[in-house]
Amino acid sequence: MEIAAKEPAEAGFEPLLQLEMEMETFLSDWRHCDQLSTYVARMVSHNRTDPVRHSNFFSSALNELLELSFRGGSPEGQIGCVIYRQGATERVRLSFPCPPGHRQFYREAVSKTHREDAYARYLDSISTDLAPSKDVVLLDLAVNFDAQVRLDEDAPPFLTLVVDLPLEGIVS
Amino acid sequence: MSSTGLSIPFKAEFDANSQEFSLSGVVRPRSIDEIAASISILKEAIGEVRGVLYINVRRLVQMNNTAFHVFVRVVIDACRARPDLRFVIVTSSVVGWTTRMFARLNEIEPQITVEVYDSKFYPGQSFVENTSFIPILRTQTKMTWRHERSILPRHGLRPGIVMADICCGIGDFAVLVQKEFQPARIVALDHSKASLAYARDVAAGFGITGIEYTYGDASEMLLEDNQFDFVSCRHSLQIFNQPNALLAELYRICRPGGRVYVTNEKNSHCLGEPRSQSIQWTYNEVAKLFSHFEMDVELGPKSRRYLADAGFDDIVVESFMVTNLDGDPRDFADVIAAWEDVYAGEMAVKRGDSPEFIQRFRQGFQDHIFAALHPKGYAGWPIWVASGRKPL
Repeated sequence: MEIAAKEPAEAGFEPLLQLEMEMETFLSDWRHCDQLSTYVARMVSHNRTDPVRHSNFFSSALNELLELSFRGGSPEGQIGCVIYRQGATERVRLSFPCPPGHRQFYREAVSKTHREDAYARYLDSISTDLAPSKDVVLLDLAVNFDAQVRLDEDAPPFLTLVVDLPLEGIVS
Repeated sequence: MSSTGLSIPFKAEFDANSQEFSLSGVVRPRSIDEIAASISILKEAIGEVRGVLYINVRRLVQMNNTAFHVFVRVVIDACRARPDLRFVIVTSSVVGWTTRMFARLNEIEPQITVEVYDSKFYPGQSFVENTSFIPILRTQTKMTWRHERSILPRHGLRPGIVMADICCGIGDFAVLVQKEFQPARIVALDHSKASLAYARDVAAGFGITGIEYTYGDASEMLLEDNQFDFVSCRHSLQIFNQPNALLAELYRICRPGGRVYVTNEKNSHCLGEPRSQSIQWTYNEVAKLFSHFEMDVELGPKSRRYLADAGFDDIVVESFMVTNLDGDPRDFADVIAAWEDVYAGEMAVKRGDSPEFIQRFRQGFQDHIFAALHPKGYAGWPIWVASGRKPL
């Protein structure tokens, strides 16, 4: 794992932290999701108004994204996570190698977060699905974390989820 | 039942007496098999209870969607199978995501309601959390700091340590500690949002950085285990209806070898001359009044026992007396006047005391002020300091 202090900012967002890890290593232990999300959340939140509660909230969201990449990623290449900040929002750019057959699925899952019926779909999924799908994980972020989710497919076979989390406003 | 396969323990329990299923800790399983035993406990609880099942997630720090889905499905299925049963999910206002996630369930099944546990559950403490009390709190800290700044090093406070100030109130003690002792980090926690807002404003106004103010319930903190070298909790065990529960949390977040530092009063030992008898009568009544509201302002000398019972060793206890001779006697008098306003003007009224009692009760405070301001008078407010080491 490497942690770099700075990366070029994107669209007014200030880079806070970058983390890279061999995907094979990442996939070797499920607990990496919990450990990385806890660690990154603590680092990112330290200068928020309420660092402890912001960290708790942020860890919850980031863990879901990491679990998504754990379940859907392939072992070749690296997983990369860059955190940016603009005002009350943190942006997570999570890149991981993804089998070609799964890409369409992610496109649809992200698309569902933007639809007007996102909330209804989320409730429906909770009340009917036996286990959470990738759909509902992203819907959860949109509904419960007020997240904006988009997909960046510029560098196949890597897939990048870009998730804006306005948690400072929610926590404080 | 506690987890074994997961990285951080979680606990699922059912208390048949209170019909409460509680889930605490970090629940982030890869598959539902890892939490099968906890699910069984929930299912058994549902089968056993009548009328209502309380689901307590106040101490649930993290839960991933895998776990959330399976627990929620069990509850939703039970709603459909048992229309006679209600579910009350109790979340914490501190852990924001739990309230957001669980609140959705009411829209799926009206039998499920969500209650948010917050500071309103500490009714007694609301007397001393009124924002009008802030100037007096600052004066009190100024008066006690004259003593504590030389006492604190004997209890383990030194530069460079990582410290938590629990029940920090308006945060002035944390600011004074940072200026005097330069700890590497201070986390200051309180469950009064108004006090924390004030603390943040003061810190920002004075250009003070390095103090992390956080909203939280001192008896159920989000802070992780074993992370602080020094944990202070001043004048709070005595106004908490479960001091043992609070001490257990202080113990938990203190690192092995670190120290927990508490200060408390014994109000019946407040004294003054002249008019000592009137003063003594009133402060004896203060102790009884707080006891009525489940607060023990006589706790000071009991600190040693509390610390020992909580598992601390190397316990150090000492006391000091804040007096009218320490600084400006007017400060002392202002504090007593504020006590009179709250204790006689609000608490005694709420208890339903007679006007005659309240008049006599007030007189003792007035006599204490008289003693403080008298050119030959003496007025005192004793405080007990105690600290214990968390064993290695």
